[in-house]
Formats: sequence, structure tokens, C-alpha cells
Amino acid sequence: MAQLSVPTVDYTQYSNRQLVAVPLALLAVALLVIGGWYLLTGAPANLGLEFVGGSEIRIDDPGGNAAQQIETAFSAEPSSVRQIAADGTYILTFSEGAVDTPNDRNQLSVLEEQAEAAGFSIQASSSVSPSFGANTQTIALGGVLVAFLGMSVLVFVMFRSIAPSVAVIASAFSDVMLPLAMMNLLGINLSLGTVAALLMLIGYSVDSDILLNNSILRESGDFYESTSRAMRTGVTMTLTSIAAMAVMTVAAYLFGIQIMTAIGIVLVVGLLADLMNTYLLNVSLLRWYVNRGVKA
Amino acid sequence: MIEKLKSNWRLTLLAVILLVSLFVVFSPTMAPQTNVGGENATTEERLTNLQYGLDLAGGTRIRAPLIGMTAETVDIGDESTTNVAAAVAGELPDSDTTDVSVRRGTLNGPTVEVVDPDVSESEFGDALDAAGYSYGSIRDGLTQETRDEAINVIEGKVNQAGLSGASVQQVTDGTGFFMLIEVPGQDRSNVIDLIEQRGNVQIDIYHENDDGEYVTERAVLTQDDFASISNAQQSDAQTGPRVPVSIRQEDGIAEQFQSTVVETGVAQQGGATCRYEENPQNTDPCLQLVVDGEVINSFGMNSDLAASMRNGEWAQSPSFVLTTTSFEEAQDIAINLRAGALPAPLAIDQGTTSFISPTQGENFRTDSLIIGILAILTVSGVVFARYREPQVALPMILTAFSEVLILLGFAAYLEYPLDLSVIASFIAVLGTGVDDLVIIADGVMAEGDVSSRRVFSSRFKKAFWVIGVAAATTIIAMSPLAVLSLGDLRGFAIFTILGVLVGVFVTRPAYGDILRNLLTDR
Repeated sequence: MAQLSVPTVDYTQYSNRQLVAVPLALLAVALLVIGGWYLLTGAPANLGLEFVGGSEIRIDDPGGNAAQQIETAFSAEPSSVRQIAADGTYILTFSEGAVDTPNDRNQLSVLEEQAEAAGFSIQASSSVSPSFGANTQTIALGGVLVAFLGMSVLVFVMFRSIAPSVAVIASAFSDVMLPLAMMNLLGINLSLGTVAALLMLIGYSVDSDILLNNSILRESGDFYESTSRAMRTGVTMTLTSIAAMAVMTVAAYLFGIQIMTAIGIVLVVGLLADLMNTYLLNVSLLRWYVNRGVKA
Repeated sequence: MIEKLKSNWRLTLLAVILLVSLFVVFSPTMAPQTNVGGENATTEERLTNLQYGLDLAGGTRIRAPLIGMTAETVDIGDESTTNVAAAVAGELPDSDTTDVSVRRGTLNGPTVEVVDPDVSESEFGDALDAAGYSYGSIRDGLTQETRDEAINVIEGKVNQAGLSGASVQQVTDGTGFFMLIEVPGQDRSNVIDLIEQRGNVQIDIYHENDDGEYVTERAVLTQDDFASISNAQQSDAQTGPRVPVSIRQEDGIAEQFQSTVVETGVAQQGGATCRYEENPQNTDPCLQLVVDGEVINSFGMNSDLAASMRNGEWAQSPSFVLTTTSFEEAQDIAINLRAGALPAPLAIDQGTTSFISPTQGENFRTDSLIIGILAILTVSGVVFARYREPQVALPMILTAFSEVLILLGFAAYLEYPLDLSVIASFIAVLGTGVDDLVIIADGVMAEGDVSSRRVFSSRFKKAFWVIGVAAATTIIAMSPLAVLSLGDLRGFAIFTILGVLVGVFVTRPAYGDILRNLLTDR
């Protein structure tokens, strides 16, 4: 088994400005991407079925020329078709209103009938109405905001001084924004699973930040000693989580379990961002705070 | 021995809780009772007492709002609620009294609700004004009483249809209320067919009036007028598929029906032959079976029954047969009559539906087990690679794993249905759990040997402060999801929070005990 040793960084070689440059630049890029997305599409991310409405059907592999059969079976073109590696099933997504629905019938009901008529066997199906999706958007946004504010208040109460609290909150903010921007660039849709993951990320991200702050501000030893001690622990923690989540993401993707894939991928990207933010952004803010008044 | 247990009480507590959890999960004595509609419930032989949600067992979930508006604090004086309903319905263009319901004693004073989707808010207001009732305000949505009634009716329908293990509840997204209906093992279309219709069954009479014009006398019999409803019967030589029923004799209901049938000519001498389907402008009077405003079947009356109606004998034992055109229809009618009509239509198009086939559910069950095992192996691998000392790493992995076991115990005890999102939360908890154990281990072993208990416990406390704050943050971050019962993420949030609590109060302190025993001399 490979030995896992956490590398020690010689922070004395870099100025605070150099340290924060990378995370701040990445955060700026992320905010640009998210802002640009908002301007272009009216939403900060690619909204998935749960937020905009639509229908989804998972069918067994019909055998033969599947793509051809799927195309002829339905009266509308699916907005996406994906085959699941583990069992060969196909997941088809249709945007709301794509299918002509006589007599106010539910779109998914029509699609299910077309699928059955074509001899497909339906393994799973789901539909979300646009109005319900719009509601979900508001609530999800509200939930993330409330969670973030709650976390900020808690951090302030715990540290009772501004700079360390801001350091923690800033890096948590960046931990949430970077995966969001990454999802846009990778073409991953925002779903309920990803929202849960973003909330989880707030919890995970604060872990290592608090460890760092605590080690530097409340424990004995000089700044660099404390930092490397916290880093030894923190990096181990984060790597453990990343490993667990990466495995979950890959396996869930192969099995076609979308909610776990979504949670996993956001956490992997977010935790990577957290490594950077904690040990570049947070460290330098703390170093400035500890040495304030002392001319460097 | 006792001394030892005492000084390691945290470890002892963990052991006890673990045993209890294992007992709850595996002991057949703790097996859950079957829920609603147990008739067809099959008690399979199962290894554990865990309940599986729709994701993992297969079935249909429908989340939909009830359509309707409520006028609050309506001034209806002492007037009877039926009169008020009739007056308001009379002022609305196409609404029946079944579309209007009036209640006293709700939280917001007397209320009037309209459940006809074609009525706009201003039309409703105008109708109230025209009928002479002043009101406080009109809002979207219905009263709690009506929603409760709807839950009862849907449960009744599901039970009558013999679908076992179904659950019906009300959830809110903060802006409005939704009915959440979960039926294991059923196709989506079956469930929708069952609940989509309000199921308002009534009998109309189609006949010629004195001027020779054909008119329909509405709602001669309604849902409440039936005393007993037999099972639907297949068609045979004499009659088609049918539901035998009897009419209530109280309040002269049977007699009134009898006289209406005689007056309109359905019970004419020699009976009536209904030709409504072929030639509505040239037919004997007909009885019409109407469901949700739609004529299901029209039928006449044979001469024997007509004769007993004419001489008044029928009302002494008022049994009656509702004939339909198909057996399925007869079954639906029987279900609707027994369960009653939904007080408001469900707007399935404004909600969500999801269906998982039982085979897919079974696959997901195996898949998520594999993912869980892979996650545990990965975490173990990383921890071993980092510490290289089995005496530190092994207890760490066992402790983290025991958190998941305790959570499974909770799930079995609460009979909480396991879904994919709950499984995801187990993995997330495993992740945070190991994180915190790493903090404890590193914190305690950081500066050289920990030979004395005093040093140990001071370091442990320091490490625990970090864990406590991190746990509090996770709980705060997750609580919006746990409170808002929207979407499928409630389980994820609830079990993540539970896991964090179990970790902070039980398993992580116990890991401290283990480390202390390993590291200190005394």
C-alpha cells in the first residue's frame, strides 16, 4: 500500500499576496462564468428537470438499433438520451411541452403509452411540472442562502473576531461557487441532488477551516508550526472524503443512479476547491491577522 | 471489571447502542406491522427489518396540489351551509353544489371554497357578491379541513382498490400544500387512473318534460344517498356488468327517489327502454349514471321493478342496480361510492410524478449496497495508508462504520423508508465521521507521547471543540432541507443530521476512550 504523507508547504517563501492570488483569481473566473450564465440563460446554472419541468423515462435496452427505435417510437425528439453502463437501460429526457398532449393529458402519460406501444419496457419514469419546478428553484435558493447565513452567524459567534470569521466564510463561499461554475462548464445540470451537495459542502468546508483557525489562534506554537500541524490533519480528512465521494460518483454513474452521481461530483470538485481555499486563502488571511501591526 | 466498564463508559454506551441497533435491524420480533390496506400485503421472508422506499422497492409517487380557492370570513349569518353552497353555486356559470363547500368554525371564520378549475377569482368574488355574502378575502388553496378530507378519501380509494402499503400525506413547500401519494409496486398509470377523477357519482334522469322537450333532472341520487354498495359483478346472461346498491330509507330518500322515477316516466307501465345512445331525441325516459359530470351509462327499467315502484313497494326494500358498460367501470364506481368523492380535483399537472419498476428498485438496492461497500473500502484504504498502524486505523474504521449501523437501526426503528438519498447520506456521514476521527487521532497524538490521562483529556477536549463546531455547521446547513419537505432530499438531510448527532454524542467520544486505552499507561 502506498504511503500517504501530507506534503509540508514552506509558506515563508510566499507573500500573502502571492498566496491569495490563485484562489481569488479562480473565484473571479467562477463568478464571471456564473454571472455570464445568468445573463445569457437567465439562470446561474444549467437547470435540470426538477427545476424547469419535463419528463424522463428509463427503458430497457430494446436491442438492435436502439437509437433508431427510440426515434421512431416517440412523437417528439428526446432532449437527451443516455445509456447506463451497468444494465444497458436508456434514460430519455423530454422537455415540458415537447409532446402534443390531447385533452390536457399529462405529457408523461402520453410518452409512457408511446413507449409501451413500441414494445419498450419501462423501468422508471418521472415528471415535474414547470410551475412546481419554479417553486423548487425558489426554495432551493432560499435553502442555500439560509444555510449559508446560518453558517456565517455560527462562525462569528464561535470566533468572536472579524478577520478569522471572514476567512472561513470567504473560503466556504468560494467552495460553493467553484463547483457551480465547474458544473456549468462541464454541462452538468443543477438538480436537487446537487443542491444537497452544495449544502453538504458548506458543512465539509468549514471543517478544515475551523481546524486551521483553531490550531493557529487557540493552540500553542508559532504560526508555521500550527499551520503545518492543522494541514497534516486537514489534508488527510479532505482526501479521505474526496476518495469516498469519487468512488461513489463513478460507481453511481455506472449504475445510473443520478442523485448519487450528482451529490458525488459536486462534493469532489468542492472539496478540491476547499483544499486550495483553506491552505492558500484562509492561511494567508490568518497570517495577515496574526502579524497585523508587525511590519513584515 | 465493573470499574473498567465505568471508566470506559462512552465505549460501553456505544457497545450497548450498537447491540440495540443490530437487534432492531435484524430481530424478527421487531418486524414492522403491515400498513394500510393489509388485505393483499404479502409478508415476505426478509433478512432485515429495514423498510425500502419507492426508489429501492419500486412503485409510484405522486405529488400534486388540490385545485381550489377559499373565501375567508364570509358573513353567512345563521344560514345553513347547504343553502349557502347552493346560492353561491347558482351564481357561478357552470358549477354544481359539489363544486362549492361551506364550512363554519375554521381558523379564519366561516369559509366558502370553490373547487371548479374553470372559475376565476373575480368570478368567485362576483358570485359571492351576487348571492349577498360579504367576505374578507379570497386566496388560492383550500382549508385544512378540506385537505384532511381529501387525504381520507384518497386513502379510502387506495384501500378499496386493494393496493397495499400505500401512504397518503400532506406536504408543504412553504408556498402551498401538496398531497403526497406513495403506492408501492404499482404502475404510474394505475395510480393516476385511480386518483385523477374526483369520483363524484350521481344518478340523473333524462326525460321529456310537459312541453315534449328532453331535459335532464340532475342529481336525483348522490353519493350520500346510498346505504350499501356491493362488489362489482361481471356481466351475465341477463344484465351487463353492474354494482348492486341499496338506497337509504332515512329522511324519505328512497321514497322521494321512487316518486321522482315514477313522475318522470322511467317507471312507466311495462318499464322503459332507454335508447339514449342511439337516438336521444326519441327514447323512453332514462336513468343516467354520471361520474364527474360525464355520463357513463344510460339505462331504462324492467317492467317488474317499474311495477313495484308504481305501487310503492320498492321503497320498503330499496335495492337497485347500477349497470355499466364494462367491468372495470363497475369496479371504479364501487370504489368511488365507497371511498366518497374527492372534495377537490388533484392537479397532477402542477406537481410531480415518479415511477420505479420493482426490478429497477431491486437493482438499485444491490447497486447502492455495492457503492456503500466500495465507499467503506476506499475510506479504509486511505486511513490505513495514512496511519500505517492498525491499532489506530482499525478502531477508526470500525467506529465510523458503527455510525452507519446505528443509523440503520434508527431507520428500522422509525420504519423510515430507505431511499437512494438516504443511502447517499450514509456515505456522507461515513465521510464526516472519519474526518472527525482523524481530527481526534491527530489532535491527541500530535505532540509526542500521551502518557498521562490528564494530557490526553485536555487534548481530546481541544479536538472535540473543532468537531462540535463543524457538526453544528453541518446541522445548520442541512436543516432547511430537513424542514422543507419538498423533493426527495428530506431523507438525505434528516439522516445526515442524525448521523452528525450520533457521531458527536456517541461514537466519537467512544473512539476517544479507545485511543486513551491504547495510548496512556494509566
